[in-house]
Amino acid sequence: MKKLKKVAVLPAVCAAALALGGCGTGSADGKTHLTFQIWDVAQRDGMQMMCDAYTAEHPDVEIEVQVTSWSEYWTKLEAAAISNQMPDIFWMHTNEILKYADYGKIADLTDLYDETDPGYYEEHFSEVSLMNVQGSDGRYYGVPKDKDTVGLVYNKEMFDAAGVAYPDETWTWDDLCEASQKIYDATGKYGYMAYGDDQLGYWNFVYQNGGCILKEDGVTGGFDEQATQDAMRFYIDLQKEDWCPDQNYFAETSPGTAFFSEQGAMFLEGNWNILAEMNNYPNMEGKWDVAVLPMCPDPASGEGRATISNGLCYATSPANKNLDIVKDVLRFFGSEEGQRIQGESGAAIPAYEGLEQTWIDVFDQFDYRLNVECFVDMFDYSVQSVNNKYRSVWKPDVSEILLKIYSGEMSFEDGMAGMQNALKAAAEED
Amino acid sequence: MSNVAVKASKHARSESRWAYLMVAPTVIGLLVLNIYPFLDTIKLSFSKTLPFGLYELRGLENYIEMFTSPEFWRANLNTLYFCVLTVPLGLFLSLIVAVMLNAKIKGQTAFRAIFFLPMVVAPAAVAMVWKWMFNTEYGIINTILMNKVNWITDPNIVMVTCAIVAIWSAIGYDAVLLLSGLQNISKSYYEAASLDGATKLQQFFYITLPMVSPTLFVVMIMRLMSSLKVYDLIYMLVEEANPALSKAQSLMYLFYRESFVTGNRGLGSSVVIWTVALIGLVTAVQFWGQKKWVNYEV
Repeated sequence: MKKLKKVAVLPAVCAAALALGGCGTGSADGKTHLTFQIWDVAQRDGMQMMCDAYTAEHPDVEIEVQVTSWSEYWTKLEAAAISNQMPDIFWMHTNEILKYADYGKIADLTDLYDETDPGYYEEHFSEVSLMNVQGSDGRYYGVPKDKDTVGLVYNKEMFDAAGVAYPDETWTWDDLCEASQKIYDATGKYGYMAYGDDQLGYWNFVYQNGGCILKEDGVTGGFDEQATQDAMRFYIDLQKEDWCPDQNYFAETSPGTAFFSEQGAMFLEGNWNILAEMNNYPNMEGKWDVAVLPMCPDPASGEGRATISNGLCYATSPANKNLDIVKDVLRFFGSEEGQRIQGESGAAIPAYEGLEQTWIDVFDQFDYRLNVECFVDMFDYSVQSVNNKYRSVWKPDVSEILLKIYSGEMSFEDGMAGMQNALKAAAEED
Repeated sequence: MSNVAVKASKHARSESRWAYLMVAPTVIGLLVLNIYPFLDTIKLSFSKTLPFGLYELRGLENYIEMFTSPEFWRANLNTLYFCVLTVPLGLFLSLIVAVMLNAKIKGQTAFRAIFFLPMVVAPAAVAMVWKWMFNTEYGIINTILMNKVNWITDPNIVMVTCAIVAIWSAIGYDAVLLLSGLQNISKSYYEAASLDGATKLQQFFYITLPMVSPTLFVVMIMRLMSSLKVYDLIYMLVEEANPALSKAQSLMYLFYRESFVTGNRGLGSSVVIWTVALIGLVTAVQFWGQKKWVNYEV
């Protein structure tokens, strides 16, 4: 009988030990241990360097950077939010920030700098950066981390073979098509690869033409506007050209894969991928370069220039046990020093205005120096990435309709009406 | 006499206590990991879910939305089509492989290992490799066929492609199960039959098939269940950007998209409950049907 009891007690003891181990912020060394969750392994070193700079001055704090892949990140973070076990600091994305902010799962950081410098945010971060950290109530729920733009990546060898001048800031949509045709005729390779993507595709064209995906109110769609429809039609019809692969091709081969295996001459790429592509395709070094997006030749309104700009931020939970210390760390992450370390690591363009050059300089390490300045130049006319709190509901529907237009299952007009309805329905469902 | 009885019951009691203790880990695991989530899913299927685990009970709303959605019926058709493509052919091929592996040939163990290998490889890896082989422009299959078949993006072909990969992945496992059934058949039946002048084909149909039918039945039930639940393979082969997605979307894929892409876990849960009911129904029909063809006499 005694033996039996022991056996029964054993699992209970184990469970208790595990539970204790699980919430192990109780530190033996008297330090405050913080966790910092991110999703991009390429930025781990940069983030760690930034944390080290903070802990060097605050020896009583230790910060551990944890990487979770993008695909698991949001499932995990939501589960952590439900059980009140969120990491102390974590990256927040515009896709999700409205949801977390509106449900009170991330702390309001609007007055983070009030004691030192009340106008800090507005002084050092662009309007687009600040829009990316706002909740539906317009308050700041994160410290801006970085900002990005979308540019045109092109294969120099194919341009040379076709005798076409490289893309520059004078380029329009017409030049894009003309060059694509010439490259296709001369080399048999694809020209501009226009695939069914929003941020790296049609959104840019729509805003260049003076159209919009979301109207000023942030709820109504812009798919009923002539300017939006004209740009969408132009973009979708590109796949009918011989020099552009169709959506079937892109379902199997992404434009990036096609580009770096030298099957096509151009595609749109976000600046956050450029450093990794330089590192991953050493054989391609010197064969490709980047340029600003071509402009719309006859926009319905505006200058004809636009690029979609997104940005991440650092956030924390309002229920954090060490909220004061965490806020101090966040204050440092948003400081010039913190942002400079991030930029110099090559991770991303710092959100802090005036530090863009730190990211550009990272590319000096390569023998062939890409014209990465173009990504920074485009901030002058960048447009905030399309977002409202219903986005997770309408985005899959809009993508599906886009595919149906591509496959001919749905007419262009019905598709536009369907997208407009999808946005409306998503807002009404709430 | 009474003394003995008391002793026995004492013994039995202590033994049953041990028995409970021994099954406890499994039972607790089942309760926590299977039963509780299942009950929770039923609850969710009657609710509108909000972010962060919040929900509001809404009665039959999700089921009404589900049954009136063409996408849902399309997913049902796709799933049934997938079953029709994979189950009969898969079973037939597995049986042939099992019979061949049962024959006395050189390197028998090596062959068994080779056929079992696909089962050991992660499904995601299997799908990745097949995806490259099926690539329209650069894939090895189209290169050999000297043709440009849109294996993965043609709405009329995409399910066949998925079925090919599914059958390839499952043959080894099913064949090994069937093989164990074949090895239980006594040699004397075959000796007697060949003395009576039965051909190999006759031996297969009149001895092998009836004798292996109980194993075949088990394999069939398992294969049909996993075909009704197909998800990972299609998810890996058919991406969001694929125009053929609507013709390849199975019930579980629909559940995934509703629950984790759109964030509508209530509707996702109703799809799951429907699938459970469907699997239950199909399995019940099979158990009823087995009386007609499964032979339990030795």
